[in-house]
Amino acid sequence: MKNITFLTGYYGSGKSELAINLALKYKVDYVVDLDVINPYFRTREQEKIFKENDIEVISSDLDYKMHIDMPYISQRVYIPFNNQSKRAIYDLGGNDIGAKLLRQFEDYNDVDIDLFLVVNVYREESNTKDKIIELINNIEGKGGFKVTGLINNSNLLKETTIEDISYGENIIKEVSDYTKLPIVYTAVWEKLYSDNLKFLGKIIKLKLYFRKDWL
Amino acid sequence: MAKVLMKGNEAIALAAIKGGVDAFYGYPITPQNEVPEYLSKHLLANGKVFLQAESEVSAINMVYGAAGAGKRVMTSSSSPGIALKQEGISYITAAELPCLIVSVMRGGPGLGSIQPSQGDYYQATRGGGNGDYHLIVFAPESIQETIDTIKESFDIADYYRNPVMVLVDGLIGQMMESVDFDRPKKERFVPEKDWATNGTKNHPGRRNIANSLYLDPAELEQHNIKLHQKYEVIKKNETKFELIDFDNPEYVIVAYGTMARICRSAIEMLKNEGIEVGMIRPITLFPYPEKAFEQIPENVKGILTCELSMGQMLDDVLIANNGKHKVGFFGRAGGMLPDPEEIVGAIKNFNERVVK
Repeated sequence: MKNITFLTGYYGSGKSELAINLALKYKVDYVVDLDVINPYFRTREQEKIFKENDIEVISSDLDYKMHIDMPYISQRVYIPFNNQSKRAIYDLGGNDIGAKLLRQFEDYNDVDIDLFLVVNVYREESNTKDKIIELINNIEGKGGFKVTGLINNSNLLKETTIEDISYGENIIKEVSDYTKLPIVYTAVWEKLYSDNLKFLGKIIKLKLYFRKDWL
Repeated sequence: MAKVLMKGNEAIALAAIKGGVDAFYGYPITPQNEVPEYLSKHLLANGKVFLQAESEVSAINMVYGAAGAGKRVMTSSSSPGIALKQEGISYITAAELPCLIVSVMRGGPGLGSIQPSQGDYYQATRGGGNGDYHLIVFAPESIQETIDTIKESFDIADYYRNPVMVLVDGLIGQMMESVDFDRPKKERFVPEKDWATNGTKNHPGRRNIANSLYLDPAELEQHNIKLHQKYEVIKKNETKFELIDFDNPEYVIVAYGTMARICRSAIEMLKNEGIEVGMIRPITLFPYPEKAFEQIPENVKGILTCELSMGQMLDDVLIANNGKHKVGFFGRAGGMLPDPEEIVGAIKNFNERVVK
């Protein structure tokens, strides 16, 4: 994971949950919420956890930013690009539409960044090799940056089994073989986690921050 | 199709397609935008109709027209948008036309907020439109239940020639769940639409008319009586509810939709503390499951109505309870969701909650 890492993917693939988990694991300096698509379940809602861990959240600086769906983001999103000794995770909105926001960083294309595609094969528009490759092409086309790695986040939320993750890995492996993009992480819900799991890439033990117990 | 992970709004859209929707007319509003978003892509690709109208008023009148022509039609919106549609909904109901209306509630009144709420209980069950009419209102608590309901809703609407409303809050619209679209649907008799205004080919010499205007009061009264009799049949046939932990409850909670989910957790927490609490979960809000209240044991200490509103369903609970037990109320509004602990507290301090 480079100092500046973007998470992209089909919407509902789990980008925001992964953004939080990666941010806390790697103790980054900034989490940048670029989600201008969703009205609920955005990274900025978890500000309290970030504050406790000395991570600064950059999102909208409008009043009521938690509760409006204005496609507005703060100009502070450039801070990590201008201070590359700091680490930042950028959480994009879903699909190629969410990836459009990458265009504003075109002037910084000499900066070495990672752009990871989060894939959950149980989302119907990313459930085959061809659909995932099409999504990569669309994201790269709209966003102007190359995807540099794949994250297997195949899950059915609290009904997930280890077999479900393996099933996802098989499909994503086909994408990886075709595109030569590495699978950099596999996300495993903490309740399924054990030390002897074998998956491609590093295993991220996933805590669900958005999912309240009663959901 | 095996299990998939779906957002509530997408699931509403796909379930409508599985239910045989021919046309969607709507106008965007948060937090239900993924419904038209999904349908715009998938309906058009399959030769069906998707139309984003210039306003909600326009959309509901397109529903009126297409339903009159005998097609399976739907619209979806959220609180202020449903408010704008009320005139058309009254007309459609008066003209006895079937359609599906999906209402994804957000905080109100007025423009309110985009966060989840149940503030449109009155709007759904009492009607914001004019006259003596009712919608058949379902209030599912999960995405799976929403899918199963929507798949069946066109059959129900067609059978009774009455709009069906599926009422959820923004949380159900926005959250994700793993769901199955292939669960079996109840087989229902769906009559021929020989009333449809689709030409005279099948009945030469007879023109069908979709109408809600009856200038002769005697005739209009007869129409009202006929509608009323239909609602009585609906009450008899379609009332749906779930009883949870009803073995030997000390208190009974009444809650629907997202609030029922929160209450399920609260009931578990109370059980661990040795306090047995049951729940009536209305699945239809009209007809309201009054019969469920007959099953509340005599020795229950009280009934707690829980809502994401300021006490709307409370009216129906008071009617159904008919003075038998003490009734209390717990509500949050404006887009605020309580934690289960707050419900636990309300049961423990029930006496402070008593309304009547």
